[in-house]
Amino acid sequence: MIQPQTHLNVADNSGARQLMCIRIIGAGNRRYASIGDIVVAVIKKAVPNMSLERSEVIRAVIVRTRKELKRSNGMIIQYDDNVAVVIDQEGNLKGTLIFGAIARELRQLNFTKITSLAPLSRRHAEVKKLGPSCPGFESFPR
Amino acid sequence: MRLEKCWFCSSTVYPGHGIQFVRNDAKIFRFCRSKCHKNFKMKRNPRKVKWTKAYRRVHGKDMTQDSTFEFERKRNRPERYDRNLAETVLKAIPKIDKIRVTREERHHKNRMKGKKEKLQKEAAKELEQSISLVKAPSALQKDPSLTLPQKIKVSVSQRQSEDNNAMEE
Repeated sequence: MIQPQTHLNVADNSGARQLMCIRIIGAGNRRYASIGDIVVAVIKKAVPNMSLERSEVIRAVIVRTRKELKRSNGMIIQYDDNVAVVIDQEGNLKGTLIFGAIARELRQLNFTKITSLAPLSRRHAEVKKLGPSCPGFESFPR
Repeated sequence: MRLEKCWFCSSTVYPGHGIQFVRNDAKIFRFCRSKCHKNFKMKRNPRKVKWTKAYRRVHGKDMTQDSTFEFERKRNRPERYDRNLAETVLKAIPKIDKIRVTREERHHKNRMKGKKEKLQKEAAKELEQSISLVKAPSALQKDPSLTLPQKIKVSVSQRQSEDNNAMEE
């Protein structure tokens, strides 16, 4: 439940550290953003000497929220903080690395670059290590 | 689909139940219900909370090491589907459960051993000391049924046991 004035941490190495949400992209009077939504944000804290500076207005996609994410299979997932990843106007990633866990919902929303950069869970790492010799390699949910 | 264990109370979490909490270091905590979730948020240590399996294992109330637990160990490596293997596994699961339950019952019995004796001793002492709360001492002397009967030792002679053997024939 991210709304304007919400501070978000940043999960990539784009140079921003903390963002403040200004607006949620989508239909008119949209109240809250959750995982997978794009927001317009202003940079409140930045790492010195990088491409992004403080008080720059950029777009970001929400990747982790403290509000629970409900899946259609009944699973409910809650993260520890509100985190976003910086994006440009077209939807391409600004940074090159992602830190922390990413919800699977982002894959369905065509943020494939983010999901591919995200660190793997232990089970995924095991399957990837075994490679095509592992039974069910192709059908394993990524 | 996977049946997970609740991080707090160690009961199974079936699909559609409970909440998963992902910490910033990507460690996943699964809870079976909001009771466990709330206790976790309160930062309670499950090893100190009496009704959890963790407490019972630590304090020796339940079995800790057993070969039946090895069957339920978490494996991250997927197995190739083999119909025969699947059949044997499905047949084995209730058997393993039964064995585990009987072993746990035995553990419980061993733990409770000596309790009956202790209770009887305490009851005898209480009867001796506090019977005056119930009946006056003079009434007791007239009617000795309220005191425990004194145990009399009877020695069995060798002769009697031989007779018994004859009967069994």
